[in-house]
Amino acid sequence: MTPAGKAREGKLASRSVQAAFLVALIVLWYLATTRWGVSSILLPNPVLVVRQLWDILKSGEFVGDLRVTLTELGIAFAISATSGVTIGYLISRSHYRIRVLEPLFAGIYSVPIILFLPLYVLFFGLGPASKIALGATISFFPIALNTIAGFGYVDKVFVVAARSMGASDVQLFRYVLLPAALPIILTGMRMGFTVALLSIIGSETIASLAGLGHRIVHLAEGMEMARMFAYIAFVVAIALILNTIVSALEARGKRHT
Amino acid sequence: MTSLATTLRSWLRRPWIARVGAVIALFVFWEIAARWWVDPMFLSPPSRVLMSLQAVFDTRGVPAALRITFWELGVAFAMSVVIGLVVGLAVGLQPFAQKSFMPIILLLYGTPQVTILPLFILYFGIGPASKIAFGVSHGIFPIIMAIVAGVQNIKPILLTSARSMGASRWQVLRHVIFPHMIPSFFAGMRLGMTGVLLGVLLAELYVSTAGIGYFTTLFTQNFDPTRLFGLIAVLAAMAIVLNEIVRRAEVHFSRWHAD
Amino acid sequence: MTGEAAIRIKGVSHHFGEESDARHVLALRDTSLDIVRGELICLIGPSGCGKSTLLNVVGGLLAPTTGTVEVSGKKVTGPMPHDIAFVFQENALFPWNTVFENVNLGMVFQGVPRAGREARARRSLEAVGLEDFAQHYPGQLSGGMRQRAALARALSLETGILLMDEPFGALDEQTRMILGEDLSVLLSRTDKTIVFVTHSLGEATFLADRVAVFSARPGTIKQIISVDEPHPRKPDFVTSEKFTAIRNQLYGLLHDEIRKTVAETGVTAGAEPAP
Repeated sequence: MTPAGKAREGKLASRSVQAAFLVALIVLWYLATTRWGVSSILLPNPVLVVRQLWDILKSGEFVGDLRVTLTELGIAFAISATSGVTIGYLISRSHYRIRVLEPLFAGIYSVPIILFLPLYVLFFGLGPASKIALGATISFFPIALNTIAGFGYVDKVFVVAARSMGASDVQLFRYVLLPAALPIILTGMRMGFTVALLSIIGSETIASLAGLGHRIVHLAEGMEMARMFAYIAFVVAIALILNTIVSALEARGKRHT
Repeated sequence: MTSLATTLRSWLRRPWIARVGAVIALFVFWEIAARWWVDPMFLSPPSRVLMSLQAVFDTRGVPAALRITFWELGVAFAMSVVIGLVVGLAVGLQPFAQKSFMPIILLLYGTPQVTILPLFILYFGIGPASKIAFGVSHGIFPIIMAIVAGVQNIKPILLTSARSMGASRWQVLRHVIFPHMIPSFFAGMRLGMTGVLLGVLLAELYVSTAGIGYFTTLFTQNFDPTRLFGLIAVLAAMAIVLNEIVRRAEVHFSRWHAD
Repeated sequence: MTGEAAIRIKGVSHHFGEESDARHVLALRDTSLDIVRGELICLIGPSGCGKSTLLNVVGGLLAPTTGTVEVSGKKVTGPMPHDIAFVFQENALFPWNTVFENVNLGMVFQGVPRAGREARARRSLEAVGLEDFAQHYPGQLSGGMRQRAALARALSLETGILLMDEPFGALDEQTRMILGEDLSVLLSRTDKTIVFVTHSLGEATFLADRVAVFSARPGTIKQIISVDEPHPRKPDFVTSEKFTAIRNQLYGLLHDEIRKTVAETGVTAGAEPAP
């Protein structure tokens, strides 16, 4: 067989393993709950889960919680993106400031900031404000750090070339610094978005009165297993969609660099 | 320029001094804000937090909860390393396994695990088991990815030259692949520790009827920002120390690594 | 050579670092040179002899420790985008813009009004043979084409003086040969004054009206050789006796300086003259 044919064969084989794995998982799940007597308190029947999911989608019950979560996410990200880029840019303007502040930011970010959630709840209450504040705090760091890296390390030859052609400060920023830094900043924003989403769902799970995270907890406490699984699948799907969109935006912004 | 100003300037020229100064300035700001501007129900000045640290430890059950949490972190990390190593090697060394299972692993890594936190608690209970399990579930992925990467990016010329000198498969594994993989392994462990910290602490905060979560809920509901911050500060210190240990180990064992 | 002086370099020397600094280096030593309008002069010499430093001083990117440079009668104190354009060795094309946008941007910086830009951009792209690649991104082009684009950008600024710092240094031998021939053709059509830094003896002999040979560090001009051959120079000039004689002369002048440099610094990168 030709090398190309062999490669195709190999690819097919691994794809079949993946498919088989997925199918086996679902089959096992089904058998476990129907034939092998695994308690439905632990694992709901997958058919029931699908039915519950359909019910949730049809009735539109998810809308209220989805709106809360997305609003919190939107506001938190708006805050962290603007402040992160602004502060990151201001810091990047001087090497001294970078050396002082960048390790500080990196050090703070290495601690799981979700730890401070109870303080935010104490200060802002159980409502959306505490989730937004925490989400903004956590996602600020990757954005600021990447902005510092982006602006702080623009290749000198571009600056020299532009200056030699007579570029003013404003022109230098607009036509050289910003486009050069953009790929790294976009990556930082993607990371910030992902981390904001996770922290908001997390804080809704731990201490909240509304939102998708809270909904799952509520169902867990009521032992409504099938519906809870349905909501988990829904949230995972939403996260997947949002992350795909954000990654696509990042890739689009990074074309030709 | 006065001599005081010049001395001050030369001191500030060193970044680490400026950094310490920035942190001190932050604490001063916090102190002022907490004392004069904000209702003491919501914010407590650092001076009071520091002095009440003893009171936090005197609260019944807190030292035990802290000890258990620390133990959970250790166990979860150890398990993550072992499982991550085994799975990482199994997948990384076998090209077919890698092609088949890596996408599945990546898929699992990408899902927001925090959504199934309530499930973990339902399955494993409100004791240490669920916290450890959730921690492991966060910690294994970076380690697996790092080991797979470390095994994958060996320059083929190294393997070829070893084989050309007559090395058996086991010898290649032991003398070429293993040493090459060590820096990646330690980098993975550093990220794994971050994951374990996240997983264990998330689970602890979620369970409000026992462990750390009980006390954070208690202090919050009683509007006791002093003890709440004291407790969180201790946990943050724990996280920083553990992170630092792993980071130093990584630096120590990666000294030969050129990249 | 007769003709009015476009660039007057008077007693320029430059050192890097403070006198007390351990890394103090006298890069350029008391260099004087008058560059005639419309000529192409090559600066050639061993590594570290200060030829790139001199170029940067002439272009206003570096203030010399002593001495002055006058361009068209004006003293140089900073970049002069209306009189001087650069082509760097390193790729200084902005990777996020197309070739056309890159050329356009140079004129934006210089202050050319919008109305005139497109025509000038098209002209300069045609002059370097890239008119079909205007919408490509630098990442999609070969090294040689990228340097053509950089040249087009410099040409579109319509300055009287072009400073080129080893522009073909990162390219392979064959591309260099083609670009050198094309540059000679271009030269015959314009009256630009070009200062061209190179390591390659053959390139210097083929392109230059005069070649200024630098001594080892601290560099100064050791000797100036004239090449009396009109532009555009035909490819068969390279095989002529005149060419060989000049090239050999350059080799003789340079060889000792290069050995001196290697002995002092242990640096061999780019030290041996290319054939």
